Amino acid sequence: MNSYLYDGTADGLLSAIAWILEVEPDPEKVILSARKDTLFEEGLTINTDAALAESFFSRLKQYAPDAAHTLYSFMLAEKEGMETSLLHYVSLAFRHGDKVKGYLTHPAVRDIVNVAKKAGRELHRMKGLLRFEKLQDGAYLAKMEPDYNIIHPLAYHFSHRLRAQHWFLYDVKRRTAARWNKGSLQFGTIEQFTTPALSEDEKKVQALWQAFFKTIAIPDRKNPRLQKSNMPMKYWKYLVEKQGE
Amino acid sequence: MDTQAKLQILSGAARYDASCASSGSKREGPSCGTGNTSSSGICHSWADDGRCISLLKVLLSNDCIYDCAYCVNRSTNPVERASFTAREVIDLTLEFYRRNYIEGLFLSSAVMRSPDHTMERMVRVAEALRTEEQFGGYIHLKIIPGSSSELVRKAGLYADRISVNIELPSQASLQRLAPQKNKQAIIEPMSLIGREIADSLVERKVNRRAPRFAPAGQSTQMIIGASPETDFQILRLSQGLYKKMNLKRVYYSAYVPVMADNRLPVLAAPPLLREHRLYQADWLLRFYGFSAEEILSDEAPHLDDSFDPKTAWALRHPEFFPVEINRADYATLLRVPGIGVVSAKRIVAARRFSPITPEGLKKIGVVIKRAKYFIICSGRSSEKPDQSPTVIRQRLLLGEGSVVSLPKQLVLPGLFA
Ligand code: SF4
Repeated sequence: MNSYLYDGTADGLLSAIAWILEVEPDPEKVILSARKDTLFEEGLTINTDAALAESFFSRLKQYAPDAAHTLYSFMLAEKEGMETSLLHYVSLAFRHGDKVKGYLTHPAVRDIVNVAKKAGRELHRMKGLLRFEKLQDGAYLAKMEPDYNIIHPLAYHFSHRLRAQHWFLYDVKRRTAARWNKGSLQFGTIEQFTTPALSEDEKKVQALWQAFFKTIAIPDRKNPRLQKSNMPMKYWKYLVEKQGE
Repeated sequence: MDTQAKLQILSGAARYDASCASSGSKREGPSCGTGNTSSSGICHSWADDGRCISLLKVLLSNDCIYDCAYCVNRSTNPVERASFTAREVIDLTLEFYRRNYIEGLFLSSAVMRSPDHTMERMVRVAEALRTEEQFGGYIHLKIIPGSSSELVRKAGLYADRISVNIELPSQASLQRLAPQKNKQAIIEPMSLIGREIADSLVERKVNRRAPRFAPAGQSTQMIIGASPETDFQILRLSQGLYKKMNLKRVYYSAYVPVMADNRLPVLAAPPLLREHRLYQADWLLRFYGFSAEEILSDEAPHLDDSFDPKTAWALRHPEFFPVEINRADYATLLRVPGIGVVSAKRIVAARRFSPITPEGLKKIGVVIKRAKYFIICSGRSSEKPDQSPTVIRQRLLLGEGSVVSLPKQLVLPGLFA
């Protein structure tokens, strides 16, 4: 059984998988992990090649778009220690095409699909739960602390939706930001974040939303458990309607 | 009255309207404007009752000239009245949308002055949002029965979904409880909408730029338990609406007493279980290939309290079972109690690779608690074979998957025109 190592980056992972699928006759017997530089680490280190990673991903996307999408969602989760499963999953995807996602009796497929599903679910949730605040200069800012690294696809979603606004997304824990202004989308990091002043009418609009939120619920049908299972408390911090709870 | 006070009255009055669906429409907004809609639908929050909030759901006014017996807004009910101006609704929609609180607007109304007068104001809100504000988000408009076909057409051009409430399951009940409305005024706009939707689909095949008409389709709503119709009558009505009028959804809402009225039944509690069973039966009509006549009959016109309609059907049809998981086609799998659309699809996808064992079913995430009495996997069963329906019925009732759970998505009366 052959073991390989890569540098721990996303590009490194994809180029390693591309390389292994190229040279190994039976990739499902291969082990792949991130290099930790410990004393007893065994295996051949594969060099990171961003161009190879990219061409490999687009090849997969052409051959099995759905499997490529699963791979993409899986990468958002930044999970460590599942590289071998991912390698096996991708190898199966090249064998079976998009049907692979139905192969849930296979442990590697199940693991990858489950993680991808969780990341995809959070992305979908955040499309609804993200809250923008209007700043003094007329731009809008949304802060968030998602479990997964979803800022890219999320910003892409809002670039279609809130096209006429100038806005920022800020991932507080990862210190990454996205900015949309006049039709262009940019990503970057923010080292020192200072909360900017809000526009004058912001609190008034927030109060209207809070009022709506309260009245739309049917009073004798309070169901906090159902509310929390649909909208876990970890997301409440930035929800206007949940302030002060 | 300031906007906040109006919002409290007019969203409070709209909260019983069941439809929160914002899906089914994919609209790329104008490039300089705000908003698009997403075909999978997005929930933006969950209210304290656990229901999804995706639209700013309000009435334009609750100041009604009609006096429908079952409705809080009936003219003889002493509640505080309010009406929004068009500007107020437009601003609320835009300010909320820009902050990502909502997918769009759901606008309904009581009848102010006349149906046309009301409908015209509602259409004006939608028109201004689309043309003046370049708003590309979701709009759902309720059609006021009795408004002119001209206004109905206009509504369909600006809205993603339009709906006419059928209110009560029969003409006789309508006459008794809502004497100012009539069946004609409800059915006419419904079929007009159905025709326009079909026409615009055809036209758009030829010409991609032809205007869309209510791309998310039409829905309707009826009140359950305020009038004497049987479940069988109701389901047949829904079946007809789906088949003949091309409706996307029929919503059922359990009747909640608002004001004593001797035309109305006295109920200890709103018939929530009945409403839940009707929704289950409705799913069987729409996604499981059942017909109303398979689910109920003139001899047994009511849905079973203790079993969901699919299990009830299975218990009446022992000759259909057990179903062989590794060979049965998709439609047959769907008939197994406890196997839903997701599970059936998973089974079909997984058995391509290797035959599925009972353990394998669990691995792919199919819950067999209830299904196990009705299936075998390559001849193997996790249950004793040949159990009679009576035995199965008892075992299902004795706790194993028989808990009557109320709907997750609470749906309560929608009482508005
Ligand atoms: S159902 Fe509609 S028309 Fe009838 S009283 Fe209520 S708001 Fe008015």
